[in-house]
Amino acid sequence: MSTVNVSNLNKIFNKGQTNQVDALVDVSLSVEQGEFVSLIGPSGCGKSTLLRLIANLLEPTSGDVVVAGKSAKQARLDQDYGMAFQQAGLFDWRTVSKNIELPLELKGWDKTKREARAKEMLDLVKLPEFSGHFPWQLSGGMQQRVAIARALAAHPPLLLMDEPFGALDEMTREHMQAELLSICAKTGTTVVFVTHSIPEAVYLSNRVVVMSPRPGRITKIVDVKLDGQRNESTRERPEFFAAITSVREALRAGGGHAHAGAGVEDR
Amino acid sequence: MIARLRAVLPPIVFGVAFVAWWEAAVKIFDLKPYFLSAPSKIWDQFANNKSLIWEATRVSGTNALVGLIAGTILGIAMSFLLSRYKILGDIVTPLAIALNAIPIFVLVAVLNNMYSITSEIPRRLMVTLVVYFIVLVNVAKGLTQVSPTQLELMRSYAAPESAILRKVRVPNAIPYLFTALKISAPAAVITAFVSEYFGGAQNGLGSRITSNIANSKNAAAWAYVLGACLLGLAFYLVSIIVESAATPGGAKRTSGRSQ
Repeated sequence: MSTVNVSNLNKIFNKGQTNQVDALVDVSLSVEQGEFVSLIGPSGCGKSTLLRLIANLLEPTSGDVVVAGKSAKQARLDQDYGMAFQQAGLFDWRTVSKNIELPLELKGWDKTKREARAKEMLDLVKLPEFSGHFPWQLSGGMQQRVAIARALAAHPPLLLMDEPFGALDEMTREHMQAELLSICAKTGTTVVFVTHSIPEAVYLSNRVVVMSPRPGRITKIVDVKLDGQRNESTRERPEFFAAITSVREALRAGGGHAHAGAGVEDR
Repeated sequence: MIARLRAVLPPIVFGVAFVAWWEAAVKIFDLKPYFLSAPSKIWDQFANNKSLIWEATRVSGTNALVGLIAGTILGIAMSFLLSRYKILGDIVTPLAIALNAIPIFVLVAVLNNMYSITSEIPRRLMVTLVVYFIVLVNVAKGLTQVSPTQLELMRSYAAPESAILRKVRVPNAIPYLFTALKISAPAAVITAFVSEYFGGAQNGLGSRITSNIANSKNAAAWAYVLGACLLGLAFYLVSIIVESAATPGGAKRTSGRSQ
């Protein structure tokens, strides 16, 4: 069973008005359990919109979104997914532990159970000694790790990420990518990951979904033929470069105009 | 300890030097008492009239405190209503900001007509009104200006509006409330003094200052001014102490916001 199933999805903002935007047109995509899928494309291609439709933070104009076998809304109500954003979005007035416990509080878990889970998640993201710290005492990369721990605290089958490493420096970013893969390998979480970066998408993903703007649509899905175990040497393998090349070509072809791929980073 | 001394010493040295220079200037230039009283004379007056000054300080201080508490409670209550009903906020907020910009304590003259001549109620109402607007504008901002990422996150948890209020909006508004208190604590004291200039019982610091000046007892007037300074300072200090006691991690939180 696929974890996410999107069929014939359309999203139009400001329908019928002069500033109407066809954010997504006839998008279909299915993400299998345990799969890591990246959405990549220039600004305005609708990749964040697609992520928010899967998360039921937006309602589609037409079409269906099925998450974990339920309607997107039911999946949201059941907290069947965790979400992480470009900004860590941690609460300054809560300690690291209490931040991670927040989704569990909203689910009505009792205190001992919450604390045990927060500890488990901190071990998972390798920050066990920071449970009593406040978010402002952590570096950007550490804050993002806490955000991931929070997103996974309820053990959701699906993790939705919107450029979570976009604000980090290159070294931290590569480190976080490796961490994320090891976390997902341990937990078996399915991931839908929005990014601007071609190497990031290729390094992380089983499949890279290439999107293009005006109107937002999927132009190509690139299968990344790297084996399960990915590490630093993965970034130097010919298959890695081959996948990067095919994503880049798909981005160029998808745009259909001179500025295709603008806003997508080659790093 | 040495670092703390370094921070405290310069202003103390400056203060002492300033008072010494003031004292010397009165002597050297032979300034008349009706022009400027010497600090030593003011201190004598202060020491001799301690019980009178204390009594006046108690009256003005009580007015300021009652108004501060009432205004804070009303301001918080109203800001919750405004953040709950957006339309109300759109109507009231511009008005509140505009009113806050004019010296509304002249209203006390009108309020005085409504109550008996010896009543402290007009002064307390005036302080309440001034504090109310400061608290309202700040706390309403704290309740509404929540990071969009945090709101999206709460929606992704299917959190009901009541949980968003309790777990996001209210904690977010707390630093704004303390900012409001730091501004309104001295403002409450000032409003309490100034209210006394518009008639009513002659028992507070403000009316004592005017009556002493009217009787050419300038050093005594200055002694009451000193009492007023101490009262304002006390209010401000208490607001800071309350803030650092109530904020986890202290003042750092407001200066070092994470993304």
